Amino acid sequence: MRSIRAAQPLLVLIALVAVVLGLTVIAREISARAGFLVERPIVLLVWLAGLLIAGAVFAWVVRRSMRGDASRSGLLLMALTALALASPLTLILLQHPSP
Amino acid sequence: MLVKRAVAGLMILAGVLTLGYVGISSYIAEELVYESPTAIVKTPANLDLRFANVSFPSRGDQINLKGWLIPGMLPDGRLTVERVIVVVHGTRTNREDPGAHLLELTAALARNGFGVLSFDMRGMGESPPAPLSMGTLEQRDVLGAVDFLRSGRLPFPELGRPRIIGGLGVSMGAASLLMAAAGEPGIQAVVSDSAYAEIVPILEREIAKRSVAPIGRIPGVLAPSALVMAQLLYGVDFFAARPVAGVARIAPRPLLLIHGTADDYVPITNFRQLNAAATSVPGAHVSTWVVPNARHAQAFKKTGAEYVTRVVAFFDAAFGAAA
Repeated sequence: MRSIRAAQPLLVLIALVAVVLGLTVIAREISARAGFLVERPIVLLVWLAGLLIAGAVFAWVVRRSMRGDASRSGLLLMALTALALASPLTLILLQHPSP
Repeated sequence: MLVKRAVAGLMILAGVLTLGYVGISSYIAEELVYESPTAIVKTPANLDLRFANVSFPSRGDQINLKGWLIPGMLPDGRLTVERVIVVVHGTRTNREDPGAHLLELTAALARNGFGVLSFDMRGMGESPPAPLSMGTLEQRDVLGAVDFLRSGRLPFPELGRPRIIGGLGVSMGAASLLMAAAGEPGIQAVVSDSAYAEIVPILEREIAKRSVAPIGRIPGVLAPSALVMAQLLYGVDFFAARPVAGVARIAPRPLLLIHGTADDYVPITNFRQLNAAATSVPGAHVSTWVVPNARHAQAFKKTGAEYVTRVVAFFDAAFGAAA
């Protein structure tokens, strides 16, 4: 039970990313019918709003989990979750700009 | 307790950095995938040419593109569309492309006996708003032009249907044309002026030069993520804009690669990469012309008559003279 609770932030993070991406794709499909000039800002708005809400939900889940479980394995799982959260930053390494 | 605090700090840091990085990259991606269209000021009529306004759908996604069909003029004054060149403009411009003097080049081709189909790519000129993908989607516009010439309702019905179709593209137009021609044997000869081998390295350099309100100058570290976000949010795959990957498939059809030595937007290394890839297969017919001191897409502006002579000679050799 404790390990499930410790894994909760990671599972929630994965679920939130999937939900926000899914909502953005739906927004794109619907708004595309009105033309690209409508689609472009709507997709960005849905995505950024989704990110902010997801961020708030995730912060709440993390806070709750950290209060409840201070075991070594729980903290290790939490550290892994932080690394997963930071994984988009690795895109910085993909740069190979033209001269 | 200390470890718990460290993990909490790590989580907060990761969350803030990632949210900021992804959020700002998404905003940049939104700016990247669209350019406001520029208005067409001159038409072929300003250069004393007969022409007709045409519209045709892009291949696959059916975007209604606007263009001109300009019949070629034979030495005896007759008009012809027997040999038609599809002329493809670059980015942030339109079929007139005053910066590259494209309308003047189009007119020169028509006066040398080639019909010309010149059109606005998606999102540019008078064609409807659409994402800018630097060739990945725009190649469908070139293919739509070929379909239109082969089976569309052409103006000047008395001139019949084109027997031969070639293509001439400048910058992004050249890249789009190379990608389209790689899979479309109906494009029987290609002139590529100032094409890039792949767009991502150029965009990564250019993004870092741009300013986006209210962020200001964009840090280079945001470039790769902005390109990924463009794909994720808008389906614009800049990573697929790689003419170098398919240029060898144009063989054995003739290909003329033109590039300026002073091109600082698409460095001449791109020309060398394209040439190496195009000539890597047996039976390739690749000609090259490196124009001294010409900047990006300025070869025609710089050389004028010499450019026309070379291009006309190339198409005449590829197609045979007009009947």
